[in-house]
Amino acid sequence: MSALAEAVVLPTVFLTVVLIAGVRPGAAVSLVPPSLASLVAATALLGLLVRSGAVAPGRLVNPARTLLANLNGFSVLVALFAASAQIVTALVPESGLPAAIVWTVFGALLLQAFAIGPDRTRVLRGLLVTFGAAFTLKFVVLSAISSPAEGRIARALQLLFEGVTLGTVMQRPQGLAEGYLAFAATAMYLIGVAFLPSASWEMIRVLTRMALPGDRGDDVNTNGSDVLDSSRR
Amino acid sequence: MREPLTRAAGLVLVAGYAAFLGWLFAIQPKTMAEAVGGVAAGLGAYAVDSQAFSDGLSYFRNDQFAEARTAFARADPARRDARTQFYIAYSFYREGWHRTHRDDGLYQQGLAAVERAIEVAPGGRLVVDDANLQMHSADELKVELARGLGASVSDLNPLRLLESRK
Repeated sequence: MSALAEAVVLPTVFLTVVLIAGVRPGAAVSLVPPSLASLVAATALLGLLVRSGAVAPGRLVNPARTLLANLNGFSVLVALFAASAQIVTALVPESGLPAAIVWTVFGALLLQAFAIGPDRTRVLRGLLVTFGAAFTLKFVVLSAISSPAEGRIARALQLLFEGVTLGTVMQRPQGLAEGYLAFAATAMYLIGVAFLPSASWEMIRVLTRMALPGDRGDDVNTNGSDVLDSSRR
Repeated sequence: MREPLTRAAGLVLVAGYAAFLGWLFAIQPKTMAEAVGGVAAGLGAYAVDSQAFSDGLSYFRNDQFAEARTAFARADPARRDARTQFYIAYSFYREGWHRTHRDDGLYQQGLAAVERAIEVAPGGRLVVDDANLQMHSADELKVELARGLGASVSDLNPLRLLESRK
């Protein structure tokens, strides 16, 4: 990975995701910070990305690098975490039953991914599908249900639906540009994740061996320099 | 030599961008003008449109309060000028003041405007030297607006009908 990509491009992409995924356009524009729950989800998501090899923190921050390079690598990781939290906040419905369902499904998918231990490609595909499904649910299905109905019959049907569901499905009406911004943010996030410095096959093998009980990892220097050397080969 | 320079420049850029985002999330600008004005004010480069401010003042003195607020909003689109926000709050006070009652909606907006004025005034202190006004400080105006919004036994005092608009 070039210095320019690591120092400028990746952190800027992820910080831009934080900005545009947080914008709620409307009569009065507001900026929504990541929710507390999304911070927890982002932590798990980051763990999954590391475990699958989609991002190799050892290639971004390690003792063999200069201080400046380590700071650049650290900024990438922090920006990735913030963008992960913000993208989860943007894609999960804000209230009611849909929020509960999506949080449950999202949590289950994360746990499943940890149990399966997928590789980088499968995790990226999984994220694409999960985020795509969440986007469709929030910005296409729920937005259509919750947008103000035109005409008396449509309004009556909407009121009937709201009454039957006790108002647990209806969401805040979204601004016109909100879906487009969320789509752009999701696409930028996935592109950014795809360009993160990934773990090589040797690194994953070494890290897996280190994690195995009883395996002392004799061929590995504990400061990770061996891992770095493997990746360079 | 080139790589350390790129890395250092990137670090500064990213730190600046992150600080800007933190600031945006903290102040929550409602419009692009507010965001841009906030940045300009932070750099000490923000100035109100003096012509629009003069127009607003003329309307205000003629008791054309809605017109005055439109002109003041044009003069201070970022809502970063304490004096302009003070006049906007005062226009809400004067428009909402009636001999028999006070308009709560207008007073609420006036209170929000005077709080903005106090927020952006240096040290939170704002005194406007204008002979046409009876309240010269943002503190007086704030208390007057808050008093108009609150309900108390003194509201039933018939002598209140003899009060005059400030």
